[in-house]
Amino acid sequence: MSYYLRKLGFYLIALWAALTLNFIIPRLMPGNPVDILLAKLQQRGGVVDASTRQAYELLLGGDNSQPVLVQYAQYLLNVGRGDLGVSVSYFPAPVSEVIGSSLPWTIMLVGISTVLATIIGVTLGAIVGWKPGTWLDSLVPATTLLAAVPYFWLALILVYVFATTLKLFPSQGGYDVILDPGWNLEFISSAITYGFLPALTIVVASLGGWLLGMRNMMVSTLSEDYIVTAQAKGLRSGRILRTYAARNAVLPSVAGFAISLGFVVSGSIVTEQVFSYPGIGSKLLTAVTNNDYALMQGLFLYITLAVLGANFVVDLFYGIIDPRTRARS
Amino acid sequence: MSLNSPFARRVGTAVAAVAVSALALTGCVSQSSSSGGSSASTLVAYTGQAGDYQLNFNPYSPTKIGGVGTIFESLFFVTQVNSDPYKPLLATEYTWNDDGTQLDVTLRDDVIWSDGEAFTADDVVFTFQMLLDTPAINGIGFDGAVTKTDDTHVTFTFDHAAFVDGPTLLGRAPIVPEHLWKDIDPAADVIKEPVGTGPYTLSNFKPQAFTITANEDYWEGAPEVENIRFLSLSGNTAGADALAAGTIDWQTGPVPDLENVSTTYPGYEAITIPMNQMALLTCSNAALGCTGPQTDPAVRKAIYYAIDRDQLNSLAFQNTASEMSPTFALTENQSELISSSIEEPVAPSSPDPATSASLLESAGYAKGADGIYAKDGVALNLTVEVVTGWTDYITAIDTMAQQLKAAGIGLTASQSSWNEWTEKKSKGTYQLAIDSLGQGPANDPYYLYNNNFSTINTAKVGETAPVNMSRFSDPTVDAALEVLKATNPSDTETRQAQFDIIQQKIVDVMPYIPIMTGGTTSEYHADKFTGWPSEDNLYAFPAIWQAPDNAEIFKALKPAGK
Repeated sequence: MSYYLRKLGFYLIALWAALTLNFIIPRLMPGNPVDILLAKLQQRGGVVDASTRQAYELLLGGDNSQPVLVQYAQYLLNVGRGDLGVSVSYFPAPVSEVIGSSLPWTIMLVGISTVLATIIGVTLGAIVGWKPGTWLDSLVPATTLLAAVPYFWLALILVYVFATTLKLFPSQGGYDVILDPGWNLEFISSAITYGFLPALTIVVASLGGWLLGMRNMMVSTLSEDYIVTAQAKGLRSGRILRTYAARNAVLPSVAGFAISLGFVVSGSIVTEQVFSYPGIGSKLLTAVTNNDYALMQGLFLYITLAVLGANFVVDLFYGIIDPRTRARS
Repeated sequence: MSLNSPFARRVGTAVAAVAVSALALTGCVSQSSSSGGSSASTLVAYTGQAGDYQLNFNPYSPTKIGGVGTIFESLFFVTQVNSDPYKPLLATEYTWNDDGTQLDVTLRDDVIWSDGEAFTADDVVFTFQMLLDTPAINGIGFDGAVTKTDDTHVTFTFDHAAFVDGPTLLGRAPIVPEHLWKDIDPAADVIKEPVGTGPYTLSNFKPQAFTITANEDYWEGAPEVENIRFLSLSGNTAGADALAAGTIDWQTGPVPDLENVSTTYPGYEAITIPMNQMALLTCSNAALGCTGPQTDPAVRKAIYYAIDRDQLNSLAFQNTASEMSPTFALTENQSELISSSIEEPVAPSSPDPATSASLLESAGYAKGADGIYAKDGVALNLTVEVVTGWTDYITAIDTMAQQLKAAGIGLTASQSSWNEWTEKKSKGTYQLAIDSLGQGPANDPYYLYNNNFSTINTAKVGETAPVNMSRFSDPTVDAALEVLKATNPSDTETRQAQFDIIQQKIVDVMPYIPIMTGGTTSEYHADKFTGWPSEDNLYAFPAIWQAPDNAEIFKALKPAGK
């Protein structure tokens, strides 16, 4: 039991540290939201004078006159209550609402493509590792090359080929704007069409890592004695592949998968930017360029919680599936 | 965050299967529906919105996404691009008293709100009283009092001469319905269902697009363009792509091959309006704490004469920029206001290194071995602040650096984030910064002068200046601005005398070094709609994001072939 308590204690401290950094970092950034808002307004032909600035300062409450410690205490208290404040760039929408509207898009897109990349990568890796030295090995450099190519470049190439030239998929957005979002077939199929290219880029770019890891684990597992035993027993090779070799070789990939699930929430800023996808990544970019502290903190909080949560679950999970990890406790 | 691996896998596989099969079915849907969105009576506009729209139709909110002019109307239509009399909207007439302390406005009496209630003087009084009661939304700086005389007359009174507040008050204050707004918090409500008097009503909102539809009960009759859909795309490139594909009808911003829009993008035309007076902002006032060589007017003027503006235009601005007056009056539509005593009413288009040299030498500079002027052992090297990614400005600085080097002045660009750049400008911790100076609510250089050259709008270095980033401060200019505030705009003679004073001073001292006037280019679908503004009939500023000007254009457009 003390194993779990120790883990829990560690995660609470990590959470506190993350929250504190979350409080400090945005305050180290130059500029303030009112200036950004006015600059934008002026660029858009708005009339900006001293009274406009005065009004916006009042409206956005750029009140930093309180001591930092008081602000910090208030921040911790508000986070505890789930009150993340009001977003400046989407004023007066509360941060939780802004995040809530974009989170599902990111979770669906990045989540599904992470799951797909893992499944395809691990399966291919198991097959490649099962027969090392054959032509299948060429899959390893091929996929790692795709992973090494700068991501945005890969995405732009795919846009050029599939969206601009072949016109198979739309190049921009999350769904056909003529439709009303809802759980109906037309909308969902439109969302899938729009999500296909971004998902494809994520899958293609991350496949190599999964494949390589699984293949190497397979190769070392295959030299284990129990595999020889299984072969000596005369088991069918398909059975050895699935229940003896792959099952043991997949353990590190499971851990890796859980951690990458944590990062699903942070989205993929570049993907969302290239495809103007309405997810968390594009919101984070907006928040940073607009000095929207509250939104930044809210997003960082969600990301931190997701990553910590995923790690915590992996730790617990690993304690169950692999007793060696808690042997010393 | 539950991690249930077998379950996640099963779901993943199922979704993948759905995805693949649905793909086969929907491969062609997107194409047919995007053309369906461009039906004859729908105008598709791209305002440059990158990312999702967050619903907000509160005309007084800084983060509103639309509705000014189209849904909510002001009393008159006032534009920056021409000096025509204000176009009556909710009001029909206005008169100032002689000393500018009282403004009487006659209202239209046949207007109804889009929910059927009648529009009255009470709504106008309510709107302006709301601004007084809620300073956080009083961005127009209304500081008078408003009273209702009868159902169609209201009177504004001020304790100071308020002539110069007229354009904002009459043209930039959208009137809101008292019966709906009296119970809400005008600073924080996003007005999900906007009710206005304007030519359009909101018919559909989605984060990636919203549509406004013609108001059948509009007092002037419903506009001919039935629907206007505003899209969000991912930026200028996406806008240009959509233009090439013919999926948008109006956008503002540069596109590839800008000089040949009508051949590269069949059916489209482009119009460029020179409005942004680009300048090198200088932290000019040593008395307020500015440091560096640019605090010397001779250095600023030497830079002014060393710029080769023709070359700059072709290298950095795709030849969309145009001439600029050092007086900061627009050469196109304010040329009659440029003082006759200014020897050079327009900035020279080719460089004049001899003048630069003599200016610097008489200020005590001497050319060093490296060809750069120096004074007291300090070389004349200046840094220009620019925002990372503003490619035209960055190219402009690189070009100017080459040109100034020939004149013995060192110039380097310092790129930083937008946040950092605005911080440096407003705190005064910069030498030079490239930016454009904004226009006021009407076609009148007073607003630009008041914002950028008055003492009340600046602050010491280290403190935030509201608008006057150059820290320029001069009692004669301040006095001239005070006289302008108290002068009826129809008294052109008195006004011109003050403009002469201001212009002479700012040309002599040059706290903002004029570069060129930047053009705002818009591309519009001329084959699909007629009635767009042209250079001969510039009834509104034809930029899609410019409200309320865009509403005037929507009203004037007609589907082609009708």
